[in-house]
Amino acid sequence: MKFWRAWIPKILPSPAKSIQGGKEVKGSYRRFARGLSAILLLLALTPLTLISVLSHYQYEKLLQKEEMDQLVLNLDEAKNRLEEFISKLQSMATFVASSSHYDALQNPVGLEKLFTALQKEYPEVTDIEIIDNSGKQKAYVGPYNLKEFNHSWQRWYEEVTKHGVYISTVFSGFRDVPHFVVAVRMDYGHQKDNGVLRVTIEGNTLQRFVDGLSTSYADDIFLIDENYVNQTRPRKYGKFGSQCLFYDLGISTKRSLKKIIREHDVISEEADQLLVNQKYVDGKNVIQAITELDNGPWRVVMIKEQYIYEESWQSFKKRLLIISIICVIVSVIVTLEISASIANHLRESRKQWLAVRDKAEESAKLASLGRLAAGVAHEINNPLAIINQKAGLVQDFMEMTGEIDHKEAMEEALNGVQSSVERCKKITHRLLGFARHTDVMADEIDINTSLREIIDFLAKEAAYNQIQIAFELDADLQKISSDKNRLQQVFLNITNNAIDAVGSHGQVTLSSKQLDKDHIQVSITDNGPGIPPEVKKRIFDPFFTTKETGKGTGLGLSIAYGIIQKLGGTIKVQSEVGKGTRFEIELPVEPPHE
Amino acid sequence: MADTKLLVIDDEVEFAATLCQRLNLRGFTSRDAHSGIEGLASFAELEPDVVLLDLKMPDMSGLDVLAQIKEQNPLVEVIILTGHGSVHAGIKAMEKGAYDYIMKPVDLKELLKMINAAITKKGEK
Repeated sequence: MKFWRAWIPKILPSPAKSIQGGKEVKGSYRRFARGLSAILLLLALTPLTLISVLSHYQYEKLLQKEEMDQLVLNLDEAKNRLEEFISKLQSMATFVASSSHYDALQNPVGLEKLFTALQKEYPEVTDIEIIDNSGKQKAYVGPYNLKEFNHSWQRWYEEVTKHGVYISTVFSGFRDVPHFVVAVRMDYGHQKDNGVLRVTIEGNTLQRFVDGLSTSYADDIFLIDENYVNQTRPRKYGKFGSQCLFYDLGISTKRSLKKIIREHDVISEEADQLLVNQKYVDGKNVIQAITELDNGPWRVVMIKEQYIYEESWQSFKKRLLIISIICVIVSVIVTLEISASIANHLRESRKQWLAVRDKAEESAKLASLGRLAAGVAHEINNPLAIINQKAGLVQDFMEMTGEIDHKEAMEEALNGVQSSVERCKKITHRLLGFARHTDVMADEIDINTSLREIIDFLAKEAAYNQIQIAFELDADLQKISSDKNRLQQVFLNITNNAIDAVGSHGQVTLSSKQLDKDHIQVSITDNGPGIPPEVKKRIFDPFFTTKETGKGTGLGLSIAYGIIQKLGGTIKVQSEVGKGTRFEIELPVEPPHE
Repeated sequence: MADTKLLVIDDEVEFAATLCQRLNLRGFTSRDAHSGIEGLASFAELEPDVVLLDLKMPDMSGLDVLAQIKEQNPLVEVIILTGHGSVHAGIKAMEKGAYDYIMKPVDLKELLKMINAAITKKGEK
């Protein structure tokens, strides 16, 4: 809250504050409009941005999930088919091994016959050999010269004698042609007849089968061995016999993907045997899934280029972008329009308000001048009426008196008096257009000192009437810049009134205090009879007096009011009949700008 | 004319006294009073035919004095003396029963005409 309270006025400067001396500071409403636009835009665009980002993220996640699902399903199918294929090859070898007796198989003619029959069914079988239980080759049919070859030291031989079946990875060996081997142990119940049947199959067989597995869904599918060496030729991602591009797969599975895998039903079931990852290859983001085959030395790699290159994702992004841009444009236009119209409305209201205020001030000024003029006219009229009557009386006596010296001249002089009275009457008319122009002096004033000084003038009178004068002055009161003589005139007038009002044994208190950093207050309080409300209403009117005729002009407080207003201050009166009266004068520390 | 009694009520002592003097010179019997209260006392004592009454006085307003005079003797005619710019006050006084009003400084000839007219009117009653 504090942050906003501190920042909102900075973003949104109040145009009312930028009115100085009744004039609008240039550009203040423009600044206000700009601030308002910024806030409104922030309000409009924040949810828009959040929604866009969220939609983007959610849709992306959804697509990723779907993609992963598809990939895993496809991979699973491929795995099943491959396992079927391998087990077929295995069955073929087992069948051959069990179809004839070991001795019959050692017979090259018999073996040749078997090989021919086998090749008819399985053209990919390159050769076939029979190995005895010491690892020595007993019979061989095939294009290579491998007779009497000793396999006992080879690892595969050890494997097959131990486990009964062995399937090798694809290798070139001394034949220099990619191939793999399916070997089965021939068990006939007694040790000495045991041997091994070894069938060599072209590497291409595997390649053809994997190619056949290609679906329109996956972008690539190939096999690798346990060392992540490519066992078939990938279409796009890598070469046969080289290190698989995704050999670091298990290590770097992304966190976001792991999360998806965890959340994903289909994947999580297989997650133990499944490695899924995302990788940036040839400028494309691809996801790969790898799974091991249960009955062969291979792993299946399936690759899918990510959805971000797909039409639905692209069109979603395009639509999201277009909608966002339209929303932003509409928000900006509406916000600017609203801000401008609010600022305009404020400016117009302010203008009207100022006009009304000026008019009110003007009419108040005129009214008080009118009252002043009427007061002056009344006050002057009374002595004028006396002069008029006195001169008339003399004229009456002159008429009653017979011829005297200079009678004519005296009558002429009396006529002159009468015509002057007429002229004075006219002057009172002109008072209606009366306006006073006086300059305000700017002095640095210590108000406390000023108050003490004026009491020096009144001390004698107060002492004579046994009136107690008290001070309650603020010692830290700021000095103010104002018109010293006029202020003293005001203080003197009010204090004098207070002294007159309290009568003997009364008390008058002069106090000063700092209101805020820009204003001070002087108050003059008496415990006199107080002012009745109907008098209080007119107390600042010119020529309004409650004093006896001839004792007061009725101008003192009216002039004081005018002076304080001119000095940028205010004067207020609080009074209660029977309790006393308090005049409060508020003054600015700096004089108002003209 | 000598029987006609006039009362001038005005807080301007000099004005009231001089006016009385001039009216007396013209054969009226006139007296001046310088406040509302004094005026009402003199009114009871003198029983004037016409009262010349100022509207602005410190103790009571001329309108209040007018009301009390009319209450005591409705047949008495009252001429209001008003200051400059108080036409409205004069008219208001006439609504309350004053015979007429005249603006200060007073033109005596005009005032005399007014007094005579007032006396004539009173005589008709």
